[in-house]
Amino acid sequence: MALCRRCDAVLARHFGANTQSGLALVCAAAIFFAIANLTPTLSIDMAGMETQANIWFAVRSLQQGWISVAALGLAFTTFLIPAVQIALLFWVLLFAHAGHGPPGFGPIMRLLHRMRPWSMTEVFLLGALVAIVKLANWVPITPGAGIWAIAALTTVLALLGRCDPESWWSIAPAVKT
Amino acid sequence: MTALRQSLELGLALCRTCSLAVSRAALKVDRRCPRCRSRIEQRTLFSAEMTLAWLIAGIVFYIPANLLPVMHTSGLLGEADSTILGGILEFWRSGDWDIALLIFTASIAVPFTKFIAIGLLLLTVRKNSQWEQHQRTVLYRIVEFIGYWSMLDVIVVALTAALMQFQVLGAAEPRAGIAFFCAVVVVTMLSALSFDPRLIWDRPA
Repeated sequence: MALCRRCDAVLARHFGANTQSGLALVCAAAIFFAIANLTPTLSIDMAGMETQANIWFAVRSLQQGWISVAALGLAFTTFLIPAVQIALLFWVLLFAHAGHGPPGFGPIMRLLHRMRPWSMTEVFLLGALVAIVKLANWVPITPGAGIWAIAALTTVLALLGRCDPESWWSIAPAVKT
Repeated sequence: MTALRQSLELGLALCRTCSLAVSRAALKVDRRCPRCRSRIEQRTLFSAEMTLAWLIAGIVFYIPANLLPVMHTSGLLGEADSTILGGILEFWRSGDWDIALLIFTASIAVPFTKFIAIGLLLLTVRKNSQWEQHQRTVLYRIVEFIGYWSMLDVIVVALTAALMQFQVLGAAEPRAGIAFFCAVVVVTMLSALSFDPRLIWDRPA
């Protein structure tokens, strides 16, 4: 790990993954992302009535009049941006693994760089845990398969260098822009 | 440690997208990074002004975010509007002090810390201060890191509203406060991202 001599910021970190393991991680991320969105994160079963919630249900519940701007914010940070990150990383790594530069490498990497601070999967995980504690006093609430998928997705995205393009520039040095 | 020289003295400029050091002579011909094609500036243009503008917007949104209710609940126990602070107090009273502390940190303390920290950075940069440059850079990194955790309350309210759909037995709906709160998070993140930390190290000309 290389640190700035003046301000101790991390300049470079040894990236323990090559394109092959990177590709494997991206595939894992895609699978966990699909599970997280297809299964309930949380569910309540009360007096025979059952309600469920995951990322999409949460976004939809905020769609009320102009409060929908919050729904938009939530949809971007917990659904759209992670989805695009996974898709773009898959695209880049697929070509890098085959040994040549993917079409649109420069713009894709710039987009990944811009999106990085806005990916909030881990915040959603913490939010789901807080919601469990918050509601458990009142109703029988149980975590679903989705919450494990989100936990796994958080881990995999963290392993992918939190989709940090700076570390990916170095693994595709032969790429022409 | 030998005196560290700044990129300005070395005739280099840093690409903020891909971290490539580019010679400034080359930039006179083409202002874009040879590796990633991003535009390169010695210092991000209008960094302090943009940071201040987003910061003011954040402080303005912070007021309705805290005063307006974020959630409306109804059920057998009656109806109630709850604000962020009200929700925290409720957790505190019912004995869940740890959750109260977590939400307090994410929703009240983090945005407030960001306002103070970004304000401090802007003020010292404006005065070209040499004071605690290292500490101020660390402060900037902390602000960058903690920023998005404030989204926590938006997610909790959204999940609660999605789950509590039992009509008379209990129902929750989002209220305007949460939209303002979401705006605070986005706008303060834009403020922090607009700030160019290299300004901290610039010496007065």
